[in-house]
Amino acid sequence: MNTSSKRSGCEPDLRSMLKNQHKKVYSICRLFAHNYQEHQRLFTNIIAAASQNIRSRKANSDDKQTMLLRACINMAALHTISLELESAHDATIQFKSPDYQRSMSSFRESVRGISDLEKFRLFLELEKVPADEVPALTGLTNRPSVKKQREAPAPAKNFIPYLKEKLIWS
Amino acid sequence: MELKKLLQHWNSFPEISMEERPILSSDLEKIVVKNPLSDAFYLRKKLLWRIGIITALWLIDAWQLRAQWKTDGSEWRMDGALFVLLAYSLYFHIRLLLFADYPTLLALPLVNFLGKLEIILDKFMWSFKFVSAIAGFYLMFLVEWGLSRLSTGAYESLTHNDWYKGLIVIFLAISIDILLLHTLLPKYRKLLATVKKYREGIFAKAQNK
Repeated sequence: MNTSSKRSGCEPDLRSMLKNQHKKVYSICRLFAHNYQEHQRLFTNIIAAASQNIRSRKANSDDKQTMLLRACINMAALHTISLELESAHDATIQFKSPDYQRSMSSFRESVRGISDLEKFRLFLELEKVPADEVPALTGLTNRPSVKKQREAPAPAKNFIPYLKEKLIWS
Repeated sequence: MELKKLLQHWNSFPEISMEERPILSSDLEKIVVKNPLSDAFYLRKKLLWRIGIITALWLIDAWQLRAQWKTDGSEWRMDGALFVLLAYSLYFHIRLLLFADYPTLLALPLVNFLGKLEIILDKFMWSFKFVSAIAGFYLMFLVEWGLSRLSTGAYESLTHNDWYKGLIVIFLAISIDILLLHTLLPKYRKLLATVKKYREGIFAKAQNK
């Protein structure tokens, strides 16, 4: 009884947030889905992932936004990986409503050939996410280039790399 | 200019369409309880099943080992080896399950998420070695039981020779490992290679920038 009342106390908040933010989820679907089924599946999976993320970290609303965006990016990446695993994947744009099909075709034509990382950056740009928040979502920091890294002094020697690798997986 | 054109295309999307209709409360109720990860990436159930089975086998083996120890039986070395193997397998699987931490996995930043996914898949593929070794032991016990029914002499000579039994276990474990390598593991290997390639692609693009 207590558990259910506690859950129902936080759930409406989560649901209203997801309802209000559903356009963001559709935005990333525009970049990664090729047809109606993929679009709906990706949308559903992102909403499920976002709710799982938010439930796992019940914090302030800013954190919720980050969790939603991470769910969008991670699920889109998994979507691409799943498509790569499929032997015969049809990448033609096929949507049911003619207006949407037209808009999608012209939009995908304009972003044709760009990598997934660029798609993620474009998505974050279109969603007006501040540039300093991007590393927290992609996990990519603005590191110096390879040449600069080579010039930089060598890091402190790790005396037990084998043991470290064996004991710590990450 | 290019971004301007892109924004033009972006804004040309219809406000309301069948593809982007507002989410209904009834649909949301169902979606929020759904597992977002597909079976290929979600190994929690498989790990839980294995943990359950290994725990049961471990408890049975502990009881048998105790009985063998008390009666100074001939099987105590094999039971002892199996006990250690089952204990380590149990530790490995529990550790993997705790490491995977599925409820928070999708909340990680992209590169960390892909890295962790790689480690989980890699360790899960490793866990098949334990499955092969455990199966090797139990098949050897099956061979012993079969011999006890078919040929008492052969059974007597085998049951008192730990070296023979050890060699049979190794042979059976390697055979099962090879079998798994060609049946169950290729799909996980392919999945791992795809995740790795994707993560490396992301890294390469980030460094080119």
